Amino acid sequence: MKSFQQSTSSGVEPALPAAPASLARRLYERVSSVGSAAQASVPGAYAWAATVAPAAWSRGSGALAKAAALLALVALAAGWAGERRWGGRFRPASLWGFVLASALTWSVAPMGLAPLRIDAAHGLAGMLGWALFALALAAPSLDGRSQSELVVDAEPLVPRRRLARGDAPYLVGAAAIAASMQLVGWRVAVAERALLVRFVALAAGLAVIDAASTIALARHARRVTRAPRIRLRAAMAAVVLLGILALTGLLFVLRG
Amino acid sequence: MIQLPDALAISLVVGAAAAFVLGEMALADAEDLRAIYWLAVGAVCVTAAVQMGRSGART
Repeated sequence: MKSFQQSTSSGVEPALPAAPASLARRLYERVSSVGSAAQASVPGAYAWAATVAPAAWSRGSGALAKAAALLALVALAAGWAGERRWGGRFRPASLWGFVLASALTWSVAPMGLAPLRIDAAHGLAGMLGWALFALALAAPSLDGRSQSELVVDAEPLVPRRRLARGDAPYLVGAAAIAASMQLVGWRVAVAERALLVRFVALAAGLAVIDAASTIALARHARRVTRAPRIRLRAAMAAVVLLGILALTGLLFVLRG
Repeated sequence: MIQLPDALAISLVVGAAAAFVLGEMALADAEDLRAIYWLAVGAVCVTAAVQMGRSGART
């Protein structure tokens, strides 16, 4: 800010001290200079290598599976090249080409994704790759060019307010619980049931993260001084339902 | 200062996670009735936890 005021008041552009560009900074600038499709192609290639390629080149897979897998890779690379030429309009074509060609690979090589042939670590790696690919495509791309040249890196900005402390244990704990839910049910033989288990695990993990973040955020809202008894009464319906479920479970156990 | 309902809400979230895991394991073992039971317990625990945690905040 000081440098900006000096330059505008005197009319003379002062020589800004050149900040030493670190390796991380240069890497960030290089990554941000490419488009979002190009940034997403890295986790996309990882997801392809973890889930599509093993299915296409598994025993018994035909030429169509291999061709579809190669087509998926070409669609991913075309997203990189097409975004440079036609901008963001080409991104959906690349995305759908990649996803549909991957789906075609899994369809014509069904044994490639059979749950018995996927171990937990392999499955988690594939899930992580596709999640990162979706996140990289959906999130706004890194943009290093929007940074003003008048901003002096050496002067830290003053925060408007301090972030509330104590939220991290809530979110880290909930994320750990949600991640641990993904470790269950990797030995299911039937493909439909294996997918159902994965879907339920994902939904349950999201529910736990949502509940933990809601409780953490409620601590920062303006508190009303209420007796714990009154606060407990606010959740009375759910607590009663929980009691009924506990009684039902007890009856089932007693009946054997 | 953490109140009793806040601690109870956190415990309910942990209980919900345990119920969800039991439900997943039952689902993987093709015991559908047990899976539905545990998943319902988990969903009710999450609902109770959120209602209890929110009740101290002015909306």
